[in-house]
Amino acid sequence: MSADPDRTAGADAGATETLPVTEGVEADRLAELLGDLVRRRDEHLNADAAFEVHPDDVQETLFTLRDEAGFDHCSCVTAQEYDDRFESIYHLKKYDDPTQEVSVVVPTDKADPRSESAEPVYRTADWHEREAYDLVGIEYDDHPDLRRILLPETWQGHPLSKDYDQDRPQVVTLQEHANPLEEDHKDSESDTMFLNIGPHHPATHGVLHLKTTLDGEQVADVDPDIGYLHRCEEQMCQQGTYRHQIMPYPDRWDYISAGLLNEWAYARAAEDLADIEVPDYAQVIRTMSAELCRIASHMLAVGTFALDVYGDFTAIFMYAIREREKAQKVLEDLTGQRMMFNYFRLGGVVWDIPEPRDEFFERARDFLDGLPQATQEFHDLLTTNEIFQLRCVDTGILPPETAKSYGATGPVARGSGIDVDLRRDDPYGYYDELDWDVITQDGCDNYARVLVRLREVEESAKIIEQCLDLLEDWPEDDREIQANVPRTLKPDPDTETYRAVEAAKGELGIYIRSDGTDTPARFKIRSPCFSNLQTLSEMAEGEYIADLVAALGSLDIVLGEVDR
Amino acid sequence: MAATPLQEDVTLLPETIARTLGLDAYGFAGQILAALIGAFIVGNVMLAMTGVAGPWAKRKITAAFTDRIAVNRVGPFGLLIIVADAVRLLSKELIVPENVDRPAWDLAPLVVAGSALLGFAVIPMGNGIHLADPEVGLAYVFATASLASVGLVMAGYASNNKYSLLGGLRAVAQNVAYEIPLVVTGVSVVIFAGSLRMGEIVAVQRETLVVLAGVPIPSWFAIVNPFAFVLFVVANLAEVGRNPFDTPEAPTEIVAGYQTEYSSVYFVLFYLGEFVHIFLGGAIIATLFLGGPAGPVLPGFVWFVIKIWAVFLFTQWARSAMPRVRIDQLMEIGWKGLLVLSFANLVLTAIIVGVIA
Repeated sequence: MSADPDRTAGADAGATETLPVTEGVEADRLAELLGDLVRRRDEHLNADAAFEVHPDDVQETLFTLRDEAGFDHCSCVTAQEYDDRFESIYHLKKYDDPTQEVSVVVPTDKADPRSESAEPVYRTADWHEREAYDLVGIEYDDHPDLRRILLPETWQGHPLSKDYDQDRPQVVTLQEHANPLEEDHKDSESDTMFLNIGPHHPATHGVLHLKTTLDGEQVADVDPDIGYLHRCEEQMCQQGTYRHQIMPYPDRWDYISAGLLNEWAYARAAEDLADIEVPDYAQVIRTMSAELCRIASHMLAVGTFALDVYGDFTAIFMYAIREREKAQKVLEDLTGQRMMFNYFRLGGVVWDIPEPRDEFFERARDFLDGLPQATQEFHDLLTTNEIFQLRCVDTGILPPETAKSYGATGPVARGSGIDVDLRRDDPYGYYDELDWDVITQDGCDNYARVLVRLREVEESAKIIEQCLDLLEDWPEDDREIQANVPRTLKPDPDTETYRAVEAAKGELGIYIRSDGTDTPARFKIRSPCFSNLQTLSEMAEGEYIADLVAALGSLDIVLGEVDR
Repeated sequence: MAATPLQEDVTLLPETIARTLGLDAYGFAGQILAALIGAFIVGNVMLAMTGVAGPWAKRKITAAFTDRIAVNRVGPFGLLIIVADAVRLLSKELIVPENVDRPAWDLAPLVVAGSALLGFAVIPMGNGIHLADPEVGLAYVFATASLASVGLVMAGYASNNKYSLLGGLRAVAQNVAYEIPLVVTGVSVVIFAGSLRMGEIVAVQRETLVVLAGVPIPSWFAIVNPFAFVLFVVANLAEVGRNPFDTPEAPTEIVAGYQTEYSSVYFVLFYLGEFVHIFLGGAIIATLFLGGPAGPVLPGFVWFVIKIWAVFLFTQWARSAMPRVRIDQLMEIGWKGLLVLSFANLVLTAIIVGVIA
């Protein structure tokens, strides 16, 4: 197989053959397991091993890795174009141990970029491959439904491919556009009704369009249509310099006050790529501020979920907003911003805790002191309410195996009893020095997901408390907020890494490939909401329309992050 | 026990008007004119209350429940928002979507708003404000109140919108399911009172039940039969479509249900109609269970208004604090829960009254 004539990486094969093989017994064992499927070993900074396989061997390779080596989490599919080939990278992990990572690299021919779809192995690959097809232009054989996902069906060209003509006008006549109203008529043969939920609807939490087929009040089929908020975030990050120009963008992915968590995803990936060591003091500040963001974000999630189940503006929503507001006040004191923080820098944070420090600590502690009472209020008003339980227990069921297959992470996975949290399993920041717990619930339903969020708020408060203690006692002459990072960062060419952090919604990962310049050659965002949203049809089909709305609310998606 | 009518000096409002204005002299035509004037007065009082409730009181009440301030910029306590909102709502463009079923679509808001107002004709509001007191008073009130379902179905079907259709279907399913317990519970009161006549029902409740520490406790049916009272209040919540039973509108599920496509004046009519309905529900509760306009010190009419506002407050409280049940759960609660309980209540009441009497 190594002598395959249509090997696409032929041109630089001689050069890359000599690449150092990633060390480790695990990598060799995997190589042995895959045997002839592996055509070449590549190096990714994050992964134990990166195997290059033939486009026709994708499913076989992935099945082997999933079933025999336990890589049950396809966290991301990155597609990119080189001068001589297209490449799809499947970033695989294990739910049990996310530090065990393997990348499966599938190079495809430049003229006819086709490779086998991974959808039969990991259902999450469905959307990820559609995105790859949409933006880069790789076609996947055996894919159940390969059409554009972020851009309109009528879009001309693939924006992240090298021959994309930006100046080509994208004017499409009305006739050519698929008319959403066309399907709006009842089929005379069937008893179902097609209903467009969104893009403007009170419960879609943004511009999401659910193509729903109703059988009476029950959902027979639901197909989320995304892309309304696609803002070319990946493209923009590819045009920014590592050092300063990329950091403001992450704030705009999950814009529901979870900005610092997103910034951390980029910081972690870029620091890994450029080998930057972050001082401990900065790590503590990062940990504290990120957890504040998590509280703010979870509060909004619980509040809007209550909105979906209660209807109108109810007490619970305002209570949640009130707590979020308090967290935001502390964040504002720290970063000067309420939502678009831009506070992290590669190698640390932009500035220290504001003077007078005592005042800041006091305000932060005030917030934490009030929090137990607030969460108790939520339990009194929300989770112990019988009608709420009637609505949420045993609705929107997401079994753990399904969740894993769809690559669900964060509170959605933990609500299905999957014990996964990157803060603990793949430690970064200061988390492994602190005392806190990962919350899981076995309910697999809407109720479990809400409980996870509420209890995670309590854990976050614990983390912040400890960070505040540490910061208060930190010796004054050792408060280093930033490592010494060169003004212009130019990581070594052809270094690739995929790094993820536990954002409010789950695993937020960034894949960066450098080409020796000061901007990334490929910047891919693995958004937790994107994967989580895929589970919606599993959760909602066969349930009532009210449960569809509740399930959507319990997923806590932010369209800014889904569409990027 | 209620064989002899307890009502004394039953002077209805039209009669008072006729006598005051000297319309008696014109015979039947005079009576009609007096009745119209009376209806005009009562209707406007109710609409004025709705006007206060819709744009202002509802906001203030909800704000109090949710830790906010609400309108406070226009006029004292933001009261002039009523004027501002009226102008705003009435000056909006009336958008008529394509392919709506025209006469039905136009009539629906009128039916909804009108049906609720009709009910007030037989409600005794104290101080002689009582338009008519027919033998079948209670049956009439229930009949007019349920006319609204027709309006909702018309709106839902004629709007040519799937959300409206779903809302209309939900509304009619819900009203049918909850009207039966409502009426059956009402009947248990009739068994006590021995009459469907509203004036009579109020009069019966004037009797003193017990004297506690020198304070006479009237035999309001809420005190005599609290079980029926609770059933009635719950069924009434469903009847007026407020949380936990606001499924016909369910903003986060089906946008606004049957009223999705309505704008401007038509929307105002729906909006008003809903509030009039809540007040009518309050008036029925006050009449059947809370002694109508009875109360110490203050004049009867004031007590009556206080009572219906208390019911309004209760619906707003429920709205702010209770989750909405799903449509199938709603049906289950209605048919399997409330219906059974209301019949149990009816049978028990019948037995008790039979044994005592």
